Amino acid sequence: MGRDTLSKLPTSVELEEKTNHLQNAWFQWRYPMILFSLFVFAIGVTHSTIEGNWQKLFESPKNIVTFFSESLWPPDWSVIEPQAYPVCEEPKYLDFTCSTAWIGVLETLKIAFVATIFGMVISYPLAILAAENLSPGWISYPARTFLAAFRSLPSILWAILFVIMVGLGPMAGILAMTLYTVGYLGKLQYEAIEGVAKPQLDASRAMGHGWFERSFGVVLPESANNLISQAIFMFEYNFRHGTVIGIVGAGGIGYYINLYLKFLQYDKVFAYVIIIFIVVILLDLLSKLVRSFFKDDKQQNRPPWWTGLFLPAGWTKNLLRKED
Amino acid sequence: MDEDDAVGGYDLSIGYERDAVLLEDINMSLKPGEIVAVNGASGIGKTTLLRTFAGLLNPLEGKVSIFGKTKADRGEVGYIPQRLGLIRHASVHHNVMMGAKAGHTSAWFPFSKVCKHHTLEAIDSVGLMHKLRTPIRKLSGGQQRRVAVARTLAQKPRLILADEFLSELDEETLSMVMQKVLDYVKENNAIMILVEHDFERAMQMADRLFTAVDGKLVEIGANGA
Repeated sequence: MGRDTLSKLPTSVELEEKTNHLQNAWFQWRYPMILFSLFVFAIGVTHSTIEGNWQKLFESPKNIVTFFSESLWPPDWSVIEPQAYPVCEEPKYLDFTCSTAWIGVLETLKIAFVATIFGMVISYPLAILAAENLSPGWISYPARTFLAAFRSLPSILWAILFVIMVGLGPMAGILAMTLYTVGYLGKLQYEAIEGVAKPQLDASRAMGHGWFERSFGVVLPESANNLISQAIFMFEYNFRHGTVIGIVGAGGIGYYINLYLKFLQYDKVFAYVIIIFIVVILLDLLSKLVRSFFKDDKQQNRPPWWTGLFLPAGWTKNLLRKED
Repeated sequence: MDEDDAVGGYDLSIGYERDAVLLEDINMSLKPGEIVAVNGASGIGKTTLLRTFAGLLNPLEGKVSIFGKTKADRGEVGYIPQRLGLIRHASVHHNVMMGAKAGHTSAWFPFSKVCKHHTLEAIDSVGLMHKLRTPIRKLSGGQQRRVAVARTLAQKPRLILADEFLSELDEETLSMVMQKVLDYVKENNAIMILVEHDFERAMQMADRLFTAVDGKLVEIGANGA
């Protein structure tokens, strides 16, 4: 830089004169301030909603301790023993497969899997119609409303409807979950589609691709990673919700939970809850592993996936770094 | 000159909004086999000009004529955006194939045997045969540019719109790619509009050179004149 240019640069005093300190402070602190005001506002709303009765909250730990020690603990692990009827014909070391826990979890997994696949196949065409960068407004808005309608009822209400329609059992569960998946996954998908960068669509439009080619030849491969990782997330989500819809008779482990809730056998319910918790953690790890294959930029020095079973990912990464 | 073979803008004003016109009173007419370069400062509207010719943007005033029509038919225009617009998660083959499909099939039935031939030919011509199944995101910047050029070559368009398509290439590849495109334009009597910052390179490629200054597009010279 020459001497002339340097002498033209403003001095710190001049810069000081140019700045508006009040504006700067607001600019720097606006997000924390907005967040803090929202938090205070939320406490105010809570106060008015519970009519100032905070006493309940402070008494709650006592209640949970009583409930836990008298009803929940210890969990009754008879739920992983084979049922008395029908008679278990598996060899001794496989007899847990005749238990209600195994049967229930497996059924819930099946429902979640089938509903995710069906939901994904049905929702993609709808998501294309709903995406604003692929379809004109008069198509995308009705399509969005349609998807929102599926989403607006929680899956448990869909389950009640289908139990009335097709009777008790997993069929109602599959139908309910599929509908909900279409609504929910459809939204995630059209957001992913709208996130496809503009140059790709520009090039495709200029070349003169038709709607079909653009949707399946350009947008589908471009957003495939997102779509797959969303579908895996949805599977996990469907499993968690599958435990709930069983309560209204739509099959799966929820059926057994509901059964023992009715008989007030909370220790058995607690055993199911622990099993569900373990399966959810396993699914979470699995989905993390599978999704890692579809991520854009692979991390170097990624710790092996199973280390996540024992330690938080950050710790293992630090440990690996020290070894280098 | 027959208007059905020419591309041109007549009394054209371009921009995204009526009260923010980027370039106005553009009058340019390009005959077959001609290459025109446009340069000028950034943000002045060069890319907008290409987008208008590509039919992605309506002119604010005046008219665009692409081979005698206001909008090009399928496969007539090959557009290489500055950020290339390649499908990042798809293979080189798929990307180039999308170009070939636009150029050699109809929108109602985008399948044809000739597509495969044109695809492989174009990939070979830019020297990327060994990367056929590699996804775009795993290629270097220069290789990605070559794929974008191959996509356009496979399409065999009558009008090529290229937005700084020669940046990020090393000398050797640059002259190779440049020669391919020049040959294509001359052999097929195509028309090319390219936006190019590098003045020397623009003069090297183009028959005529336009510069965008103060909202006007000025022709500053013809090559060899």
